[in-house]
Amino acid sequence: MLRVMSRRGDDRVTWDEQKALAGDPEAIAAVREAERIFTQERTKGATGFRVEPGKPTQRIEHFDPTAEQIVMVPRVVGG
Amino acid sequence: MSFITQVLTTLGWIVVALAISPMVWLIIQPYYKGWSRAERRAADLLRDTLTPEQFRQLVWRGYLEVPSPTEPQRVYRVPRTKGYVQVIENGRAIMRLCVQPVECLPDADVVVLHKLMIEANEENYLQKANKYVCID
Repeated sequence: MLRVMSRRGDDRVTWDEQKALAGDPEAIAAVREAERIFTQERTKGATGFRVEPGKPTQRIEHFDPTAEQIVMVPRVVGG
Repeated sequence: MSFITQVLTTLGWIVVALAISPMVWLIIQPYYKGWSRAERRAADLLRDTLTPEQFRQLVWRGYLEVPSPTEPQRVYRVPRTKGYVQVIENGRAIMRLCVQPVECLPDADVVVLHKLMIEANEENYLQKANKYVCID
């Protein structure tokens, strides 16, 4: 799942990795859409984090369809 | 005599009500604030990201403590609502940090943002923050 933080809370895109690997067109489209959003947010300065229960949080530079959950955080500045 | 007893009983109930009202407010506040859709979604993400223990700490103490991944004696104290992040080293507050997202986010999302950045991007987080050193 890709979760993008915004003023609306967070927008979510989900995909089924197994179905995508099996060639399911809908699952592949969902993965592509998530990747497009990830890249678009990165261009705006957002940072992606791979967040999985029981594992250390990991910053990621590229979209990873095998991730259980990716959280996109908007650019931050000193206040 | 019965009038005095009644007055004392009423005063006793007022004292009890005043004593428990902050606790009741702490319990219902997340639900009250979570009425809006954005707050509710942000609260979902917060619950998914924190352990039950961390979530309890945030609700009851009003802050979340995030240990530094690089400095074992350092802890970041992230407030539940808007405010400075305190840097605690060896139990003493040494610095306050001000970091905010460029986009307006619900409070719960801001807590998650701090947590993720500290845990996986601490160097960049500290670079971006405005720092206010605490002097005794």
